[in-house]
Amino acid sequence: MIRDFIASWPLFHDAYVAGWLIAVLLAVVGVLVVARNQIFLGAAVAQTSTLGIALGMWLGSALGVEALAGDHAHGALSLIGVGFAVLAALLTARGGSGAQEAATGWLFLAAASGATLVLAASPHGLEEIKHLVSSSIIGATANDVWLFAALALISIGGVVLTRDRLLLFAIDPSMAVAVGMRASVWNAAVAAWLGLVVGLATRATGLLYTFGCLVLPPLAAASLCRESAALFWVAPLLAVASGLAGFVVANHLDLPPAQMAVALQALVVGAAWGVGRRAR
Amino acid sequence: MLAAREPVPDDDILLAANRLTLGYGGAPVLREVDLRVRAGEFWFLLGPNGAGKTTLLRAVLGALPPAAGQLALHPSLDDRTALGFVPQRCTPNPILPTTVREFVGLGLVGLTLDGRERQARLAWALAHAGLAGLERRSYWALSGGQRQRALVARALVRRPRLLILDEPTNHLDFLIEEAILALLAALQRDERTAILFVTHALHVAERYATHVALFHGGTVESGPAAELLRPECLARAYGITGGAGLQPRPRDSRAQPHRETE
Repeated sequence: MIRDFIASWPLFHDAYVAGWLIAVLLAVVGVLVVARNQIFLGAAVAQTSTLGIALGMWLGSALGVEALAGDHAHGALSLIGVGFAVLAALLTARGGSGAQEAATGWLFLAAASGATLVLAASPHGLEEIKHLVSSSIIGATANDVWLFAALALISIGGVVLTRDRLLLFAIDPSMAVAVGMRASVWNAAVAAWLGLVVGLATRATGLLYTFGCLVLPPLAAASLCRESAALFWVAPLLAVASGLAGFVVANHLDLPPAQMAVALQALVVGAAWGVGRRAR
Repeated sequence: MLAAREPVPDDDILLAANRLTLGYGGAPVLREVDLRVRAGEFWFLLGPNGAGKTTLLRAVLGALPPAAGQLALHPSLDDRTALGFVPQRCTPNPILPTTVREFVGLGLVGLTLDGRERQARLAWALAHAGLAGLERRSYWALSGGQRQRALVARALVRRPRLLILDEPTNHLDFLIEEAILALLAALQRDERTAILFVTHALHVAERYATHVALFHGGTVESGPAAELLRPECLARAYGITGGAGLQPRPRDSRAQPHRETE
């Protein structure tokens, strides 16, 4: 099995490395998503990104600039998806939990239906949307490797410098304000970063892999750790381990690697819940 | 951020409101509030729901800028390192793992301390809050009363000169309420911590308050507890004619509030 994987390395190494880097990046950011009870927000932001990508494809076709739109999500116009994701995260990050839940639900449904309708008349439109939603890491490029390595380093650096502030902000915003943190600034910064990384990850790998890496490793880590601070290194570790195992198994069985990695992450979460329950 | 800061002349004064007006979206909630809080005073903020108690706290915490007037903190409180806050409730996501040590340690955010000093402060706060020995226990394994103590410990770990508590004993049974208030009274007496305590429990105010702020009709009456904790004042604050039902309970001989400032 390992030998098969090594044999596939020259052909797919960019896809594999980009997949692992995306997993690390999203798992780090996902700790805050899970800690702030915003899992559905993560799904809605990723879904909004697909609407932006769909609009980019449609715009490219309509304007006759196929070179910018491309024949898949890597076209330059698909960067609209990143913008949409950042906007969605910023718009839904504020407000009370009830209002936020309603806005998130509205966003998810509007984006999901809109993405399909925008490309419904296009010859390969629905196929593109299906491709984007179901995910694939195979299209990831060398540029993606550099991009996500840089984003992962920035995220890890940010966590190292501000870990306790991030946790206090996630656990008790009122106390965070009391100790001098500016809640609105932190809220906007965290939301913008979430939108950016989710938008870029969705563009590179699709919705399923992005959403899976965003929430499943932090959920598993939450069941295995005793303290929240440990989530910031346990979650990325689990994400990489699942990605590594997932890509190797998928290669051996000739199955799609992104789906295999997410399926393994889901299994790890189930096992972690069992372990966590037994430990309690 | 406080919109208006002026030097507080008296070094004992930690908080000074001068003709302070506060509100939301241009609609004033409190008007022309004057208040002086000194070190070692135990203030109770009393009044009906919606009278502006939490609004004033929000302003003191820097979450609400004054619409008019001035609100000044002692310079030692400017960077918030000596300010502690216990919110009405803290509801972290229950799937989030945390120990008592980690939860209380988050109160140290913004303070620059070495490892030994951090440990010393944690030990001191946990001991004062009656949580010594529970450092490694999961926060989620604590009882409701212990969680409230953990909130108090998280504020104490900052060694505050000014401690603000927003209805911290709501929904707690009598024994836990007593334990928390005894702890606060000891801090006021031994550390000269100034305390702002929002509550609806008049009997508690009667036993522990050195000073009282009565919120009603957009204004605040403030002064020594002995002057304001009278039926006619309380009746005025709560808008009840006569005020017979608003008499605090008779003083309990066990309570020992420290009233050096009266």
